[in-house]
Amino acid sequence: MGFLVPLALIGLLAVPIIVTFYMLRLRRPERAVSSTFLWQQLVRDVEANAPWQRLRRSLLLLLQLLLAVIFAFLVARPFTEHPAGLARDLVLVIDASASMSSTDEFPDRLTAAKRVALEQMAQVPSDGRVSVIAAGDTARVVANEATDRGRIARAIESIEASTSASDLTDALKLAGSLAERARGAEILVVTDDAGSTVPSVTLEVPVRVATVGRERDNQAIAALAVRADPSGLKRTLFVSVANYSASAVVRRLQILADGSAVTARDLALQPLSRADVVIDELPAGAAVVEARITAPEASSEGSGPVDYLAVDDAAWAVVPPDRLRRVLLVGPGNVYLQNAFALLPNVELYGATAEQYPATTGKELFDLIVFDGFLPAELPRKPILAFAPPQTSALGVVNGTLDTFGMGQPDADDPLLRGVDLTRLHIAKTQSIDLPAWARPVIPGSDGPLLYSGLRDGLATVVFAFDVRQSDLPLQVAWPILISNLAGELLGVGPQQAADPIPPSSPVEIPMPPDSLGVRVTLPDGTVEQLAPGATGASSVTFVTTRQLGIYRAEVISPPPPSLAPGQTPTPTPLPSSTVNPSASPGASPVAPGASPSSPGATQDEPLLFAVDLFSPEESNIRPGDGARIGSLGTDVPAETEAPGMARNEFWPLLVTLALLFLIIEWLVYERDGARRILNGIRRANPFAARGTARRKGSA
Amino acid sequence: MKRDLLPSAVDPTVFDEYFLRQLERLMLVTKKAVHGGMKGVRRSVKRGQSVEFTDYRDYSLGDDLRALDWNLYARLEKLFIKLFVEEEDVNVHILLDASASMDGGSPDKLLFGKRAAAALAYVGLASYDRISMAVLQGKVARRFSPVRGTGRVFQVLADLSGVKPFPGPTDLASACRHYAAQITQRGPLILISDLFDDNAERAISELAGTRCNVAVLHTLSADELNPPLEGDLRLVDRETGDAVNVTADLFTLDAYRARLADWQTRLDEAATKRRVAYLPTPTTLPLADLVFAELRRRQVVAA
Repeated sequence: MGFLVPLALIGLLAVPIIVTFYMLRLRRPERAVSSTFLWQQLVRDVEANAPWQRLRRSLLLLLQLLLAVIFAFLVARPFTEHPAGLARDLVLVIDASASMSSTDEFPDRLTAAKRVALEQMAQVPSDGRVSVIAAGDTARVVANEATDRGRIARAIESIEASTSASDLTDALKLAGSLAERARGAEILVVTDDAGSTVPSVTLEVPVRVATVGRERDNQAIAALAVRADPSGLKRTLFVSVANYSASAVVRRLQILADGSAVTARDLALQPLSRADVVIDELPAGAAVVEARITAPEASSEGSGPVDYLAVDDAAWAVVPPDRLRRVLLVGPGNVYLQNAFALLPNVELYGATAEQYPATTGKELFDLIVFDGFLPAELPRKPILAFAPPQTSALGVVNGTLDTFGMGQPDADDPLLRGVDLTRLHIAKTQSIDLPAWARPVIPGSDGPLLYSGLRDGLATVVFAFDVRQSDLPLQVAWPILISNLAGELLGVGPQQAADPIPPSSPVEIPMPPDSLGVRVTLPDGTVEQLAPGATGASSVTFVTTRQLGIYRAEVISPPPPSLAPGQTPTPTPLPSSTVNPSASPGASPVAPGASPSSPGATQDEPLLFAVDLFSPEESNIRPGDGARIGSLGTDVPAETEAPGMARNEFWPLLVTLALLFLIIEWLVYERDGARRILNGIRRANPFAARGTARRKGSA
Repeated sequence: MKRDLLPSAVDPTVFDEYFLRQLERLMLVTKKAVHGGMKGVRRSVKRGQSVEFTDYRDYSLGDDLRALDWNLYARLEKLFIKLFVEEEDVNVHILLDASASMDGGSPDKLLFGKRAAAALAYVGLASYDRISMAVLQGKVARRFSPVRGTGRVFQVLADLSGVKPFPGPTDLASACRHYAAQITQRGPLILISDLFDDNAERAISELAGTRCNVAVLHTLSADELNPPLEGDLRLVDRETGDAVNVTADLFTLDAYRARLADWQTRLDEAATKRRVAYLPTPTTLPLADLVFAELRRRQVVAA
């Protein structure tokens, strides 16, 4: 046994000092009594005339001497040495991914992992260096070649559980590079080894793995999305709940819209399966939808095992806003088309003639371009609805015009023809077009399709081979329904409409007007962060603090309204098609909308909402592994060390415990009179005890 | 009895008229018949002139003809003399310990002893007994003149009022031996003392040797039964001046109480062995309870 601070043993001098105090005679006040006849037989303190008295046996003296010795040893920090079980240079990797928040260990896996890591520190040689890496959303070095055990312990304790999915690849790469700096280094990974992804890294140092976690029972919301239906009028919620447990469970799915409960239903989940739920009855105007899974209220039995991971039991989604869609109609003017589009909600119609089209600016701001009997030389990168394309293009090869042709039987299940009756359709003339590879025929014809649809380079495209004015289609009831279905196909699908959830700790690009001062982001827990634009005139800022799960709210900080400069005119706003008939003024140039329609809800006044959700099967599947696959990433050969190190075992916790114990005993001995008085008081105050005593006396 | 006739040293609230009337109904009882000199109301071993019949005997010449049972003669035609119990007075001895240790306590032990002695003396006077009182001081017993009759109660009270605690040590056994040697007439003997003496048992033994009907009232004050002490103290003996250092905590006080109980048990056993009545008498005990309850319970007095 050795001492880290041997000088502290000077504290043992307190022992003779305490003894001296006990040998000093006590001055007592005198009290006259009738007789000391009985007291003389009782005296414990023998009187002496000298200022010193004989040392007597005293429990207090014994306790105080013991305490003095313990305190002296405590400060001297005694230790014993034993051969170290780990290398002198150790890189400790602690998994802090979302699955480490599972509560199958008490209180959770990360705390258990920290405990294991601290226990392993006792195996590091006394002169060992330890680097600690927290493998959360990113690999982070929290201690670099630290030798102070207190600092290492604090670094380990400072690691917090991440809410994001993370594999250990980055952390192991970092650990490998740290380990390569010293000869004979080792990597110790403390993880639950959940998930199926094996880190794609090969290490040239031995890797030891300590695993935590016992259970695999977990249910998670695997997906949550809100989509507009093809008509753009309804919002549909799609929820997928996954059961990663090996036994069947019942879970209650709660849907909340803007914090208010919408619906709740119990889901019976089979082992290792998913259940998909589609909910159509989302309230109008709801901006945020939240889904939660909980245990059924009725009874805990029968609902299956416990859900050990809570972080994946809730998910959020942003409802796509009712955004105004802009449609550009290029052609000589078609009253049927204008009236049909005018019936659609949230649609603004702009008109241009074929001659005006090349000079039209801001084509990228439109959501749909309708070519009526006209096709430009170069098709815009936009969804296109074309009627009777005059020449061959990417929309299809035009072989000529047909006067006589046959109409095939349309597919009744085609979503474009839902509710559309075409049995009385008559067409006088049509273009003969070969069906392109990207399209599917909607109304087949004898010499080529009459109506076909598909995704052309990812862009929704619908082509009518005939001019509607050469048919009786606009006069039928089916016409507005068909246009509505087409609008749903062409306007309802697009990358900008799907407000896809963002994985935790992922950067988010937040658009902002070039003249704004920045963006204020409100996090799910209510804290607010302000982001300044990276450069003058930047059109977006990057927000990276997305560690929390939930809804983030970004608001653009606008500058004070500037005074209008001379000669500058405000951007004209588009006129709704319901008030102006573009065909009546085909010469009117389309105007560019004042605000960018590129991102959902990104107007200067409306805040941008985005949801951060886990949705990670790798993290939700909390079945712990044995760590063998991680251990196999390193070399098998034990590290070559110059000499086996010695690890120290300090036993100050035992000394602290003993000191506390003796302090308590000493206090109790010193205050025993007070304690007994309190006990007697309690006994007297307790009428039942007093009654019992009286009864005993009576019976005696 | 009028209060203004009472000595000033006696608390008049204790000996009020009601208390004295109660005392008159009491009579000291002796467990066996005693010899006496003068005529009294006590049963005597002698046959004499009283109303209580005991036996017959044959008539012999010279007997008082008034004692003949003529009814018996009428039936049997034989002369029989009726024998009656002779009633005599008795000498009641009351010993009061006036050592310095009796001076103290709350209530004061000596004052309590004086009152108890006065009450017992009055009981005896009311029974036409002769009261012999003595105060134990130093190594001797200082006797007062014997008194008889209720009219002498004032003298008793005056004698007791003049009793002061004796400065210096008192040898209880020697004082008791001194008094025992002076006893000429046996009767009830009551010792009132705190018995704080190494030779307390010997003192009881000396008194028991007089073949009197001995009762010991062991008088202890409340602060001797439950000492109100706390902390590190130096206790000084009032009688001897000896000092003892004690650390008065609850454990010490418990040990004190246990030793006190043990001591009293030992005294009780010693007294019982010698047919002496031992009565632990705290000074908080009201005199009426002492006379009417405690002493009656131990058959020192009877109605």
